[in-house]
Amino acid sequence: MRTALASAAIIALGALGFASPAFAQDPRIIDSEEYIPGIWIDPDGCEHWAMDDGTEGYMSPRRTRDGRPVCHRSEICGVMQSDQLFATDRYAISAEGRAALENFFRTANAFGFLIYGHTDSRASDEYNITLSDNRARAVADVAGSVGVRVVDMRGFGERMPIATNGTAAGMQQNRRVEIYCLR
Amino acid sequence: MTYIRITALLGILALSACDNRSTDKSVDRGVNAHHVSTLVAGIWIDPDGCDHWIIDDGAEGYLSERSTPDGRPVCSGVAQPNTVVGPFQAGSPIPDVLF
Repeated sequence: MRTALASAAIIALGALGFASPAFAQDPRIIDSEEYIPGIWIDPDGCEHWAMDDGTEGYMSPRRTRDGRPVCHRSEICGVMQSDQLFATDRYAISAEGRAALENFFRTANAFGFLIYGHTDSRASDEYNITLSDNRARAVADVAGSVGVRVVDMRGFGERMPIATNGTAAGMQQNRRVEIYCLR
Repeated sequence: MTYIRITALLGILALSACDNRSTDKSVDRGVNAHHVSTLVAGIWIDPDGCDHWIIDDGAEGYLSERSTPDGRPVCSGVAQPNTVVGPFQAGSPIPDVLF
């Protein structure tokens, strides 16, 4: 009954020309009802569009145009500078690096981990994908050795820089392994 | 003239019905009113073994995908397919830099 009345009111308002006047000039854009969502942030730190429509609820992940979820950096629980773990172009972890990683994985108090390798932009894209994949795998092997769960692991090469590759300092920041904790 | 009066009456009825007919859908109105950002989620594992956030907010239910940073599904193995777990503890707001 309420819904019927409200719908009737909306239709009546629409008939009087109140619906979306901004788009009225373009015949290809149909008249629409305004629905403004809220944002809910999941425990991983990622945003979702949420709408409460009275007795219905709707939700969908907020994404960038290329399909990545819109998240806050708080979801990254560990960032390792590759220079501290690996020699140039290698993916064997130093003894010191291994000990620090083991300690991290033991104390992170997470259900599982996502592990992603990244490089700077020197050398070819293909080479960097392989190198970062091998480095992520080396870190994942340490996680496995202390008995924690690796949910996902891969190398993104130079494709997801966090700093400029135009300076030595920027490139150093881009050479990294990111660990996301699932709790 | 009569037409306009009826329209106004219908509008008032719709507002007084305590239904969420506002265009702002970010607030759960009425009893236990709260903003949607305060919702607490569990995890539903789909038949393929992948995770979805699930929220039961009384009259409303919500479901949304859990994604990796590059947009693939998270299939964590936290529980068997076709089951629900949680709510899970939220992550720390500050990232640790290990080195």
